[in-house]
Amino acid sequence: VGDAMPWQVVDHYENPRNVGSLDRKAKNVGTGLVGAPACGDVMKLQVEVDENGKIIDARFKTFGCGSAIASSSLATEWVKGKTVDEALKIKNTDIAKELCLPPVKLHCSMLAEDAIKAALADYKLKQDPNKEESEKKA
Amino acid sequence: FCPGCRALQPPGPRPDLFRLMDCDRSFRVDAQQLQRRFRSLQRAVHPDRFGQRPPKEQYYSEQHSSLINKAYQTLLNPLSRGLYLLELHGVKPAQETDCDGDSVFLTEIMEINEKLAEPKNEDILEEIETLIKVKQEELTKEVTAAFERDDLQEAKKLLAKMKYFANLEDKLKNKKIPS
Repeated sequence: VGDAMPWQVVDHYENPRNVGSLDRKAKNVGTGLVGAPACGDVMKLQVEVDENGKIIDARFKTFGCGSAIASSSLATEWVKGKTVDEALKIKNTDIAKELCLPPVKLHCSMLAEDAIKAALADYKLKQDPNKEESEKKA
Repeated sequence: FCPGCRALQPPGPRPDLFRLMDCDRSFRVDAQQLQRRFRSLQRAVHPDRFGQRPPKEQYYSEQHSSLINKAYQTLLNPLSRGLYLLELHGVKPAQETDCDGDSVFLTEIMEINEKLAEPKNEDILEEIETLIKVKQEELTKEVTAAFERDDLQEAKKLLAKMKYFANLEDKLKNKKIPS
């Protein structure tokens, strides 16, 4: 098809920020694991939150196309320094715009938004052990 | 082919690939029969046989030939066959993000991907290859059963899982290519 990758995507692909893992057992770490069934991409995003509700660290591991990797890499950059509530406001459209994603790759930015939300939801659930939760397999 | 003058006609619009390959519209296909049909169709329409015909027929022959290739590839592979069947039944393939609801499955996919990303190790690659094959066979059986009882939603879910394994299979193939 010959469409060139936007340089922003190439940059994140060649120099990804925050690749790796945090300790998913730690109480202040939230883990989001999401998949895109249409293309088979998987994305794991983790956040470490301090006692003031501020995200102090984030890591990701994504197996998929360049746009998915770039979206999750950017997501980890953006959530750092934000509070949990601020991070929940991150929209896939912002990610797509920043990376100049073509329409056919918009779903990658959506996956990143979903990964952020899943990680934060996991973190919140861990802070409130009285809430009913489905058993999370270790 | 035109019955009167035997000139090649263009393929019809939106052909049914199952009908084209003379197969029942079902998830079960006979691979050998499919291959026989593929070969016999290509013998009739392949561009190599139309070198002396008028340009219009040569063009139609290319169209037929590539359509037959597409039909063969689509029906031969269980994943593409399943997705095509869903499409024929008006069921869209899964689009929404898979969330933690299926975290056991996604964790497994993640782990296999991580192993595959490690430096090349023949034993581990073989282990992974076997694992992927086993999973694909299991899923294919489950998809067959789902289609048989007309459970299209279940087939859709299972085909989504197969997609993750198809990607892993491709990555594995690339990994095995000598660098």
